[in-house]
Amino acid sequence: MENAWLIPLFPLISFLILLLFGKRLKEASAYVGILLTLASLIYSILVLFERFSEPTYVTKFDWLTIGDFHLTAGFEVNQLNALMLFIVSLVSFLVHTYSKGYMHGDERFHVFYAYLGLFTFAMLGLVISPNLLQTYIFWELVGVGSFLLIGFYFYKEEAKAAAKKAFIMTRIGDVGLFIGMALLFWQTKSFEYSDIFAAVDAGQVSGTMITLTAILIFIGAVGKSGQFPLHTWLPDAMEGPTPVSALIHAATMVAAGVYLVASLFPLFSASHTALMTVAVIGGFTAIFAASIGLVQTDIKRVLAYSTVSQLGYMMLALGSAGYVAGVFHLMTHAFFKALLFLAAGSVIHAVHTQDIEEMGGLWKKLKLTGPLFLIGTLAISGVPLLSGFFSKDEILAAAWEGGHPVLFVLALVAAFFTAFYMFRLFFMVFTGEARGNQKHVHESPSVMTFPMIILGVLAVVAGYVNTPWFGTFLGDWLVDGNEALAAHGHHEGPVWIMILATVVSLLGIYLAWLIYGKRSVSRNWLSGSGDMLHTVLLNKYYVDEFYQLTIVAITKGISYFLRFIDTFLVEGIVKGITGFVQGLGATGSKMQSGQVQTYGAVAFIGLALLAVIYALTGGYLR
Amino acid sequence: MNLHAILSILVFSPLLGIAVLALMPKDQEKSIKLVGFLATLPALLISLAAYAHYLAGKHLSDFSVSVEWIHFRGMNVEAPYFAVNYELALSGFQLLLVVLTAVVATLASIAARYVKKEWKGFFMLFLLLEVGMLGVFTAENLILFFIFFEVTLIPTFFLIGKWGYFEREKAAYSFLIYNGLGSAVLLIVIMILFAKTGTTNINILKDILADPSAPVSGDLKLGLLIALLVAFGVKLPIFPLHSWMLRVHVQAPVPTVMIHSGILLKIGAYGLIRFGMGLFPEQFDTLSTLIAVLGVINLLYGAFLAFIQTDFKMVLAYSSISHMGIVLIGLAAMNEAGVQGAIFQVISHGLISALLFFIVGVLYERTDTSLIGNLGGMAKGMPVAAGFLLAGAMASLGLPGMSGFVSEFMAFLGLFKEMPWLAAVGTIGIIMTAAYLLRAVLGMTFGKSHREFTGVVDLKGVEFVPVVVLMLLIVLIGVYPSVLSSPLQATLETIMPGLGG
Repeated sequence: MENAWLIPLFPLISFLILLLFGKRLKEASAYVGILLTLASLIYSILVLFERFSEPTYVTKFDWLTIGDFHLTAGFEVNQLNALMLFIVSLVSFLVHTYSKGYMHGDERFHVFYAYLGLFTFAMLGLVISPNLLQTYIFWELVGVGSFLLIGFYFYKEEAKAAAKKAFIMTRIGDVGLFIGMALLFWQTKSFEYSDIFAAVDAGQVSGTMITLTAILIFIGAVGKSGQFPLHTWLPDAMEGPTPVSALIHAATMVAAGVYLVASLFPLFSASHTALMTVAVIGGFTAIFAASIGLVQTDIKRVLAYSTVSQLGYMMLALGSAGYVAGVFHLMTHAFFKALLFLAAGSVIHAVHTQDIEEMGGLWKKLKLTGPLFLIGTLAISGVPLLSGFFSKDEILAAAWEGGHPVLFVLALVAAFFTAFYMFRLFFMVFTGEARGNQKHVHESPSVMTFPMIILGVLAVVAGYVNTPWFGTFLGDWLVDGNEALAAHGHHEGPVWIMILATVVSLLGIYLAWLIYGKRSVSRNWLSGSGDMLHTVLLNKYYVDEFYQLTIVAITKGISYFLRFIDTFLVEGIVKGITGFVQGLGATGSKMQSGQVQTYGAVAFIGLALLAVIYALTGGYLR
Repeated sequence: MNLHAILSILVFSPLLGIAVLALMPKDQEKSIKLVGFLATLPALLISLAAYAHYLAGKHLSDFSVSVEWIHFRGMNVEAPYFAVNYELALSGFQLLLVVLTAVVATLASIAARYVKKEWKGFFMLFLLLEVGMLGVFTAENLILFFIFFEVTLIPTFFLIGKWGYFEREKAAYSFLIYNGLGSAVLLIVIMILFAKTGTTNINILKDILADPSAPVSGDLKLGLLIALLVAFGVKLPIFPLHSWMLRVHVQAPVPTVMIHSGILLKIGAYGLIRFGMGLFPEQFDTLSTLIAVLGVINLLYGAFLAFIQTDFKMVLAYSSISHMGIVLIGLAAMNEAGVQGAIFQVISHGLISALLFFIVGVLYERTDTSLIGNLGGMAKGMPVAAGFLLAGAMASLGLPGMSGFVSEFMAFLGLFKEMPWLAAVGTIGIIMTAAYLLRAVLGMTFGKSHREFTGVVDLKGVEFVPVVVLMLLIVLIGVYPSVLSSPLQATLETIMPGLGG
């Protein structure tokens, strides 16, 4: 573990090599990226296993001195970090491999791999940071990686707008984090997690301050994890290449908000209000995004809203004091959502469209992608025996035990929606008649299917590390040796929750099958029940339009108002000054009349004045 | 080796270049440009050697020089001499500014390859300007400071007025009037201090003024500080004294504007820190709320206006106003974090704006425009230049890992301790900075191209030198801020006791 800092270093090397020599390497760039992320992955696995038997490892050095404060940089390997290292490096490695096929033939192939390296570096750096400042640094860097990759097809206007939106929306959240961090620093005199928790524990920080800073930091997480009301960038981020969506906007970066709340959990759990805020925002986002996902027709956007919704789920878990539940779902979600995105990428690769209205009947043509997509769909829907089932159950149990019946119901409804829209997606893409122009549909090359198979396996089995039946290894390990977390470990929920969750998800699947599989119910059942609702959902509750009309308009308004001030008031002062100088000059030149009499008179008056002053003061002016 | 002569050699080394140029025929474009470039090297090498001297653990006071220069006595025979000595010295802060000046000057002399006419005159003025800047940052007394300060004004006036773009003359005059008035105010302050205390040596003045029995009353000190705020506020610039600087940034030729926004604006910050805060710490504390408010106004005003500009140069000009607001914010905090952040911002912005203005120059050279709308989609034709432009913008908006973040972070951290509400308002500026820079830069580089960029060549040859050097320095400071913070510790320790902090 002493050398865990090497893990983020490998992708950084990949980034630098490809930046400098990528043009010459061309598509061989892929090997550089794949091999170096493989090195990270192997090392992460070693660290993870080492962490099972050894205590937390921390090391740091002085980074910046401000007066008496020594800000440090370093790295830490605790349970959560070790787990995240493994998840991130695994998904990154698989996406690196997959992209070799997906991005084949792209003019800027090497640039893509360079950006992937940069992002992976930042993400791995983020998860081993031992203090808030360093977390913030990498937090911003992953944002840039995401920005660059969303805008990878920079010549597309949509990609440009999406990249800009992603950066600015997340930055709004980041400012919250920044303020929270600064306030917390002056309260605890440190950025180190351990010092902050110690200060909070010792009661050095007032209750209001804990609530305030925790909520401010949570705003950062809201931005990054696409929670309401800062969620709108995430669906737009689908303009990036699909492997990027799998890596950044499903498995890793967007989960960073959840990770942040998890790693600051002792701070959050010290304030009931803060936890409640997290839970409410999470719960609301879960159902809000799921409802939008019901009607979208772009395969990636459905998945994007699903991601937003699932992240809300995780937040709900954390906010209900279900630390293990949140982290557990983070892990299983990383696997099945990455799988779904890669499978969706494989579909797009085959049919060259993202519109599910133009797909259909692909089950027979995509013999590998189809079943894999189905596995992902079953996992996310919470069908028993797959990974999503166990983690979702853990969350529902936490929400129930956390004492928020309303949130529990919300979570249940969201689970129903999830099962419904995911199977709607599945049936529309893979069953029925081919609707679009599907001439040369063929399965993706093995370099693309291989990562999907690995993720498929994980999407099935990853849940078994923490089940009520075979033991809660993950949960016990995560809170092991940490008193602050021990109380928020595994929740042994009542059995009826598990049954209820299963029934709900099967209901959702059944309804989807009736409408989109068997087609015995009209597809327009929703619009039939009210055109209004359908339109509202299709337009994502008009949140974007609302922002456009308020925040953007107000910003522009202020700008134009200030321009008015700049042109008239400030320039007025300029005119005044130049006028004064010119006036002075004009007066001066008028005095140069050339009349000797005037000059003489002035000289005489001046002399007389001096004489008077001398007489009065007797020497110097004092 | 006698180190006392080093600073004088450093400051006046560009004169050698002027002498050589004077002997050269006017039309030898290539060799004039070469000589102009070479003439900036001695200062660069010496300043780097001085930094190495510091790194080797030796004292910067080895470089101090003091020679009797002018002294006179009032009519009263008992009164002490009024003495003005020739005094140069380096502290950690000054050392950093000297290195910055030398680096930016050398890189700007490379950017002078875009100068189209009268190269000889251009470089002679350019080198004279460098003498002035180096002198300003090494002068140890106010009179000498003022002389060098004036030496920077005249060459800049001609460099803008003669070699600038279309409205160059108007810009040059507005530069001269504003800065002339600013320096007149400065001169009054210096003369009052000189008359009251009999010295202009900055360190001695500091001791005298710190003494409660000094012949300068508290009210007078406050008045003098406000006057300094105006004098250096013109330079920085502080709202509403900024309009001259917009014109200069748009109209001045590339090398001049690199120097101007990279170094000359920083004289304002240097003056505020060294004289304003250094000589009148108590009064500065009294005014700290006002200064913080001015800082936040600068930050937001610049940012909001940069958001609606159509010319990228105007975006950068307003961005400079906005970024100088961060300097004021840091200073107003009056604690270590804030002041260190302000100084970091001075240096960081010097590097970043030099980089961005150089890239604008590169673009203008190839496309004859700096309008955002006309450049859309340029990344297709010039991917490398577009990449550096984006990286520069990221540095400017305070991306961690680059210098802008460290300074912004410390300045805000400092203010959050003293005035959290004001600081919270200021953080809107952090969002706006991202908004206006991305709007402008993505508008230029991303999206559909409105024109053919196929015939346009990308960054090439020596153009890489300024871009790469500046970028490396920006990243170096961002990743390893101790390169700046360790020389600064001694300076901060001398400022801080005066602040009672």
